[in-house]
Amino acid sequence: MAIKINHLSYVYLQKTPNEVQALHDISFEIPEGKITSIVGHTGSGKSTLIQTLNGLIAPTSGSIEISDFIVTSNLKKLKKIKELRKHVSIVFQFPEYQLFEETVEKDVAFGLRNYGYKDEDAIKKAHEALSKVGIDKSFYKRSPFELSGGEKRRVAIAGIIVLEPDVLILDEPTAGLDPQGSEVILNLIKEFNKQGKTIIIVTHDMNIVLNRSDHVVVLNEGKLAFSGTPSDLFAGDVSSYSIDIPALFSFALLLKEHGVGVDISKIKNVDDLAAQLKGLK
Amino acid sequence: MNNLTFGRYVPFNTVVHRLDPRNKILMMILLLVSIFFRVSTWSTALILTGFQFLILIGIMLLAHVSFKSLFKSLSMMWILILFLMIIYIFIPNPAYNADHIAFHIGNYAVNYDAFVQAGYIIFRLVMMIMITMILTSTTKPMDLTYALEWYMTPLKIVRFPSHIVAMTLSIALRFIPTLLDETQRIMKAQSSRGVDFNHGGLIRRVRALISLVIPLFVSAISRSEELSNAMEARGYDPYGKRSRYRILSFHFVDLVGFVFVVAIFGAMLTFLILDKKYMNVDFIYWIFHAKPNF
Repeated sequence: MAIKINHLSYVYLQKTPNEVQALHDISFEIPEGKITSIVGHTGSGKSTLIQTLNGLIAPTSGSIEISDFIVTSNLKKLKKIKELRKHVSIVFQFPEYQLFEETVEKDVAFGLRNYGYKDEDAIKKAHEALSKVGIDKSFYKRSPFELSGGEKRRVAIAGIIVLEPDVLILDEPTAGLDPQGSEVILNLIKEFNKQGKTIIIVTHDMNIVLNRSDHVVVLNEGKLAFSGTPSDLFAGDVSSYSIDIPALFSFALLLKEHGVGVDISKIKNVDDLAAQLKGLK
Repeated sequence: MNNLTFGRYVPFNTVVHRLDPRNKILMMILLLVSIFFRVSTWSTALILTGFQFLILIGIMLLAHVSFKSLFKSLSMMWILILFLMIIYIFIPNPAYNADHIAFHIGNYAVNYDAFVQAGYIIFRLVMMIMITMILTSTTKPMDLTYALEWYMTPLKIVRFPSHIVAMTLSIALRFIPTLLDETQRIMKAQSSRGVDFNHGGLIRRVRALISLVIPLFVSAISRSEELSNAMEARGYDPYGKRSRYRILSFHFVDLVGFVFVVAIFGAMLTFLILDKKYMNVDFIYWIFHAKPNF
């Protein structure tokens, strides 16, 4: 079942001089089992939106439907909030800062133990999750603070996926990583998606939007600016959203301006463009 | 979480906000001291304290200090209030009137005066909180540290590193909101891993707290290292001479405010001296009999 967001609004510090409306009455759907990107400028409400999705903050008005759960302004009504958080998990930006246990395996198992798993079962599952994110066995007994940045992040992600959420939200999962590290994380995300999980990625990287996502949502000053496929987004006018157009699209748009008959809405990668160019006479 | 932010600076533009912070600190000290002047007659004490209380309410209204956050901070204090109550009730005091017995607990007689005494001290405590709240919610933390540094300037003669103290203080203050945000962020991240900070037994809660405190320390230490490197990279020298972007200045309103506070202080002091000199100045008696008993 898709995630339905109905007339969602959120106001920070309501009734104070510092009041900020982060989200203005937004409604859209996030398709199930797909990779959805949420993009927008800094302060556009992306982080607020994802935090309402698993009930970390209660919306000021409006509601969110995620399978059996309905998040409204009154979180107390939602009795199974812990269940919701297991169902919808967030990997925050720079998740390596939330590591704290003595060893890598203990840190990954920590989440499971909060959900009442026994120590041995939790450790066993933690090992599975760690191998999924490509952390070598020799690291399991080491302190997470000894690892490199990319490794720490993979351990932190393992700490979330070990809960086996159906919806996985990642806030800028590649921020601050080198290209290789980013690639590893993005491939991991693709793997989870293949296992049928719904993925939501908050990002500023338009190449992730174009190459890795099935659906894209654009927020602009707390309002919904666009919801659709990445190709449709870049084929339209994006100048007012302060987002970059990927190099491939800039090139295709230039070709089109110069009278080359390419169909931008059908381009997803270099191969599509090459195929179209080959087909031209 | 919002409890932690009580007394935080709220940027309204009122007369109280515009006062010179040095002046505000001095005024606060005078008001605090005057609250603890204690006259020996109950009726006079009550009238004087009530008068101060009304003035404080007036200042709070003038400065747009929220009463809600005052109540919130008071609700955090209930353990202290309870503790005070118990101390006053169970510690015998020869000054209590032996006829004013409220009830007995076993053989121990609980005196009415004990309740009055406890109520009086709690009342003054509340006023103390009101005063400090007025100061902190109308003054930017940076201005407060500048003012403190200004007061510490004379200590330079004895080579007291007033600048370093002020810098340390201002950095500490500057990091409070950052660390609060960080705390909130980590709490959210750990909640995503199923940590429940609000429910569960003691062991669970301590465990939950560990998952918050360790990452908080790690990030605070790495932040402080980054900050000190950044400061050194820009040539910071704690002993160097420096100018200041914001210059504190004393205006006419400051004078008015100061005179007002000094007047209150003076009035309270006069009553105290009269009280000590003539013993038992009864304000009520003055009003209704117009013949002072001295």
